[in-house]
Amino acid sequence: MTNKVITALAALGLAGCASAPIPVYQLERAQSSIRGAEEIGARSVPAAALHLQLAKDQTETAQAMASKGDIRSVLVMARAESDAELAIGLAREVAVHSDAVRATEDLKAVRARGNP
Amino acid sequence: MTTRDMNLSATIALASLMSACATVAPPQLVEARNAYTASSNGLAAKLTPTELYDAKKALDKANMEFDNHGDTLECRDYAYIAQRKVELTDTKARTELDRQTIAEASKAGVVVRDSQVKATQAALAVSRNQIKEERRDNEAMTNDLRAINTAQSKDLQTTVTQLETEKQARVAAETKLTGAMNDLKAIAAVKDDARGVVITLSGSVLFASGKYELLNTAMTKLDQVAEAIKAQDDDKRMVVEGHTDNRGADSINQPLSLNRATAVRNYLVTRGVESEKITAVGMSSSKPVTDNKTAENRANNRRVEIVIGSPGLSSR
Repeated sequence: MTNKVITALAALGLAGCASAPIPVYQLERAQSSIRGAEEIGARSVPAAALHLQLAKDQTETAQAMASKGDIRSVLVMARAESDAELAIGLAREVAVHSDAVRATEDLKAVRARGNP
Repeated sequence: MTTRDMNLSATIALASLMSACATVAPPQLVEARNAYTASSNGLAAKLTPTELYDAKKALDKANMEFDNHGDTLECRDYAYIAQRKVELTDTKARTELDRQTIAEASKAGVVVRDSQVKATQAALAVSRNQIKEERRDNEAMTNDLRAINTAQSKDLQTTVTQLETEKQARVAAETKLTGAMNDLKAIAAVKDDARGVVITLSGSVLFASGKYELLNTAMTKLDQVAEAIKAQDDDKRMVVEGHTDNRGADSINQPLSLNRATAVRNYLVTRGVESEKITAVGMSSSKPVTDNKTAENRANNRRVEIVIGSPGLSSR
């Protein structure tokens, strides 16, 4: 009887919650974000390139997990999408920042010449 | 130690272990929590509040998973996602700050070279080139179509011209025929009956009495008949019939009528009527047009008929 109780307690600790199978729209969203990151030039920004690669790897992992019936594939796909979104953000930041730096320098030059 | 004691110890150890796991957050969750705290105390709260709120929701999910189930893989996944959302919030906040800097410089009269605008302009240039190429292709296609259209118009015009020429030729032929028939009517009786067009020439106009050699004056008339016949449709066949009155024996009238028909037929052939389309036949007195009671009637019966009929016409 006690052995059975121990077994039941142990089993409780290892129990997880169920998840839904990977939805098609989630895969499409992740892939769309990856394409967006590539188009914006994420590969040429080191930090963005890292997250872009993470997104691609996790997409593949999620698909492989889904094909084996692993319900955690949904969350892995969500991770992939979050990495792709971050890659887009980082690439955009670099582009805008370089414009801002130039604009600041130009503004200084204008003010130095005494123009309003 | 008894078995009972050992089981009790194991149970206590297991419970303790589970209890300990439930209170120690995984490193991913700790990191996400710290990142969020820092972000909410920085630029993001002011510049990107929506993205910050999104990150908060992701973090709440991770915390709930941890509270309910402890350090699970799902908990770590939620924490991972929350961490990325916090980083994205900070990135967007810095970008927004740079945009404000650019806006201020622009207000001050600085021409800002926007990288994104340049990228868009580059894409626009590509699109413009593509449009130019498509226009060139379209122009080439239009020129080809115009050339085809011109060629077809020429062909059509040629066909129209040909048809017009044929029509004019037909009109000319009909005019010629009408003229020939009108001329013929001046020297012969022309009528339509079941056999076709029948040209009737009086025997006395063509031959001396009892003879079958053509008079000279007959030849002039037969020339006009030949012209009228040649103006007809080529497919029509012709039969020359010789007729006599009922005076004299049939043994004389029959060969006489045949010889007279043959004389007319042969003369018409010399005037260009196709030989294979015209035949001669002797009818003797078998087909009178009127009774033979008077001299005039008998003269009318003494005649040569040229029947211009359908392609299937044959002698009776």
